[in-house]
Amino acid sequence: MNKALRNPLAFTLFVLPALFLFMMFFIYPIFSSIYYSLTSWNGVSDTVKFAGLANFKKALGDERFWISAKNNGLFICFSVFIQVPLIVLFSLLIANVKKLKGLYKTAVFMPSIMSTAVIGILWGFIYEPNIGLLNKLIGLVGIEPIYWLSDERFAMISILITNAWQWTGFYIVMVLAAILSIPGELNEAAMIDGATGVQRATRITLPLIMPIITVVIMLSIAGAMKAADIVIVMTKGGPAGSTEVMATYMIKYAITNFKYGYGNAIAVLIFMFTLLVTALYQLLIARRNERIEY
Amino acid sequence: MKKSITMILSLIFVTSALLTGCGGNNNATNTANKGKDTDVKTEEKVSEEPFEMTIRHTQIGADKEKRFAILQDVVKTVQTEVPGLTFKLDGVDSDVNRKEKLRGEMAAGSTPEIFELFGSPDSKIYAKENKLLDLTPILAELGIADQFSNLDPFTYEGKVYGLPIGGSGEGFFYNKGYYESKGWKAPTTFAELDQQLADIKADGKVPMAGASKAGWVPLMLANHLWSRYAGPDVTNKFATGEAKWSDANVVQGFAKYKEWVDKGYFKKGELGFEYAEYTTQFTSGEAILMYDGTWKSSVFKAGQSGEGLIGKVGFFNLPAVDGGVGDQTALMRDVNNGYGFSATVANDPRQLAAVTSFIKNFYNEQIQLRGLVEDGVLPSMKIDQAKLNESITDDLMSEIVAVLNTSQSSFPAFDSLVQADVTTEISNIQIQSLIGGQTTPEKMGAAIQKVQEEANAAVE
Amino acid sequence: MLRTLKKCIPHVVLLSYLLVILFPFLFVLFSSVKKNNLEIALNPFGIPKEFVFDNYIEAWVNAKISTYFFNSMYIAIFASVVTILLGSMFAFAVTRMRQGKWNGILFSLVLIGMLIPNNALMLPIYTIVRKLGILNTHWALIIPYIANAIPFTVIILAAFMRILPREIEEAAVMDGLNAPGIFARIIVPLTVPAMVTVFIVNFLGNWNEFLLANYFLSNDELRTLPVGMVQFRDQYQMNYAQMSAGIVYSVLPVVIIYAFLQEKIIEGLTAGSVKG
Repeated sequence: MNKALRNPLAFTLFVLPALFLFMMFFIYPIFSSIYYSLTSWNGVSDTVKFAGLANFKKALGDERFWISAKNNGLFICFSVFIQVPLIVLFSLLIANVKKLKGLYKTAVFMPSIMSTAVIGILWGFIYEPNIGLLNKLIGLVGIEPIYWLSDERFAMISILITNAWQWTGFYIVMVLAAILSIPGELNEAAMIDGATGVQRATRITLPLIMPIITVVIMLSIAGAMKAADIVIVMTKGGPAGSTEVMATYMIKYAITNFKYGYGNAIAVLIFMFTLLVTALYQLLIARRNERIEY
Repeated sequence: MKKSITMILSLIFVTSALLTGCGGNNNATNTANKGKDTDVKTEEKVSEEPFEMTIRHTQIGADKEKRFAILQDVVKTVQTEVPGLTFKLDGVDSDVNRKEKLRGEMAAGSTPEIFELFGSPDSKIYAKENKLLDLTPILAELGIADQFSNLDPFTYEGKVYGLPIGGSGEGFFYNKGYYESKGWKAPTTFAELDQQLADIKADGKVPMAGASKAGWVPLMLANHLWSRYAGPDVTNKFATGEAKWSDANVVQGFAKYKEWVDKGYFKKGELGFEYAEYTTQFTSGEAILMYDGTWKSSVFKAGQSGEGLIGKVGFFNLPAVDGGVGDQTALMRDVNNGYGFSATVANDPRQLAAVTSFIKNFYNEQIQLRGLVEDGVLPSMKIDQAKLNESITDDLMSEIVAVLNTSQSSFPAFDSLVQADVTTEISNIQIQSLIGGQTTPEKMGAAIQKVQEEANAAVE
Repeated sequence: MLRTLKKCIPHVVLLSYLLVILFPFLFVLFSSVKKNNLEIALNPFGIPKEFVFDNYIEAWVNAKISTYFFNSMYIAIFASVVTILLGSMFAFAVTRMRQGKWNGILFSLVLIGMLIPNNALMLPIYTIVRKLGILNTHWALIIPYIANAIPFTVIILAAFMRILPREIEEAAVMDGLNAPGIFARIIVPLTVPAMVTVFIVNFLGNWNEFLLANYFLSNDELRTLPVGMVQFRDQYQMNYAQMSAGIVYSVLPVVIIYAFLQEKIIEGLTAGSVKG
């Protein structure tokens, strides 16, 4: 029986369209990137010259590249060490209040359905030095205006805050759902045993939502490695390249400087870095709890 | 709770829908049908079949309406001359067009048929790869080959690949009203300029507009400064290795700029402002001086954003510096903004006819004068001096022309002389670092020189 | 006394967070009806003394919101729907059809896609799109959007389909249904909740996408909302009141949709993440 489900032709027809697109937009580009990363092609010419590993040597020796890599690292650190604790805290608080639960959930989630570009514009206005909300607020307590996006010391943190503002709510709702799906009996039993709210949160809830927190961290890392649009919209990588991330660095070189080959070398490096970070995370942390199962 | 939110939202929705009704029908573009060309429709009727061509222009935003109106009129004329032709106008920010869009499209072979093109070094790279239409035969056919004052930026191996729309010079615009109230005149010496800047600062005003989010804006003035200290032709010598960015004279130019930054002569927070803001600082009276190209004069015309300053704006050249090298009246002038045409046009006789008609109707005395009068763009073609004088009626324009006439030589901006890598390094990184205080003039010179040497060593 | 205080603390914390989320929106809303920058500067927090709606009229004309909005909407919906169709077919095949090791191989292959930061592949994708001759058309966005969302879609839908009991198809096969029949009549209806999830996530992803939209399209009338808004900002930056009106236009429709569908949107997303 079950011949229908063993039909290889039907199987092929079912997988083919998605597989074709997948190969074309994921697998082929990787090889294409690797190929061009070994050339000095300018992106315009008809002739493509082989350049060996020169592009990689140049990238790894370029201070600007490392600044952009460091900024991707800052994105990751900010998510993992500042956002994640906040996410857990707020989710626990929302899960335990009786009133207004719906309002909190609805409101915190809202920024994550909006486009990053529009949020970048909105926050650009908030950071505006003369009439922006933030400087007006700190002006109330007598602090001199800060040039948030044009001062090298503040530009990166300003972007990180905007990014966190947009995505924290999204993750809160995810974690919240996990908390609410924990059977009530567990908590009740603990309550009868005389556990306090904090104890219940750390001993019962937290271990149970660890898998979802792992997912949140993985998604944050993936998001951090991809970050580019928010930087382009808010600072264009400036001032003086201080907020450049790897993706914007790549675009700048490949398109603006006629260095398609070099840009592709950066792409390959981004790819390798992402694999490295993911692998490290899986090995060091995720394995101890529970491996992600999709 | 939810009900009330829904209420408010639907109210807002209704309001905005009403507003839509009010605002939907007036398009911002000025489609006044002036400047009808007298040329007759003599094109042979090859085919009446409709076809479409795209013109990529950079006339977007309120300050460029005049220029856009001129383009639209030319487009109309060409459309009547070439049967079946419809032009699609595609407006893109000029820096985006130059540095991103066009470069990507060139690689893809998907450029619009007609596009704004930056002369040097861009057009040479494209011409070398056969991406641009050779205009030499068309210029010969129309008999205007020798009418342009300078086609060098668009010439590659003796052939012409683009035509400059107009020319520009760069210098200081100043607020005459303020100057008169202080009893000052435009400075004739550098010391005088320095003194005025200090006095304006002491007066609580912003001496110079600043908007350095895009590096090319502060680099206009910086470029002029290093060319004063190290000679007008110094930038030419970087690519050949005859001069270095780290030479003491060049560094002195950076140092002067830095000195002005440190003294707070530029609008604070400038690294966060776009170019659009630059003009606003000046037109609002907040900043007293603004270093910019002559194209900015179009803002000080009726109906434009600088309307309030008509008759109250002057223009002067950067004065001579002490110990400067070479001609100290030299003006930074460019004929680098022009139109180029896709090489694919050559394959289609109807498109070729359209391009020929476009060149004929865009590059003539009438349009050149109109550009000068309405838009403040200096002619890129040779125009009879008497006609020129006759066309100049406003004070600002006469001052600009006077500055042009008193300068004995000119030099092009650095980005037309050095490689793209060097331009990126100085405009995306170094000048902003200098302004932000993360580098010193000496370090900046050394860093740019390093990139320059790499670029010189790379065989193109 | 202590009890009420204890009850209040979470609310105080949460309400201040809420303020941080909502105040920027209010700030923009108030600014959009103020006359100019000066009035915003003088009275940054409050409701304006007199309401000026000119900003809305000017922003509508200058920013071409209607065109951008429509472009974004149809591209995002179309691409998301096609992704779900292709993704669910694929997920069905690798979870329910018996092809031995191929099921595992193909599924793992697509899993790799989750690890690839697709921004890094922008340059080759650009090359592909241009070789297809669709640069500067909406297809230049639609096709990459469809492809980019496939790994996520397959993973979620496969997880969902895997837990369906075997017996249901066995019964269907008895009834003489072939593979497409089982897929369309049995599996798809059972998977609809997961599909809603995936649709919402994909839709938001496409709706928000900026990089490809910024570099692959150059005609103004083709632009999507995010790119159009950034261009609008760059041109009219000095006029914050008008810019605020532009922001309101671009945010409002999303907020309205969200107000009506928030249960569905949040439910779908959370269901996705718990299953995931």
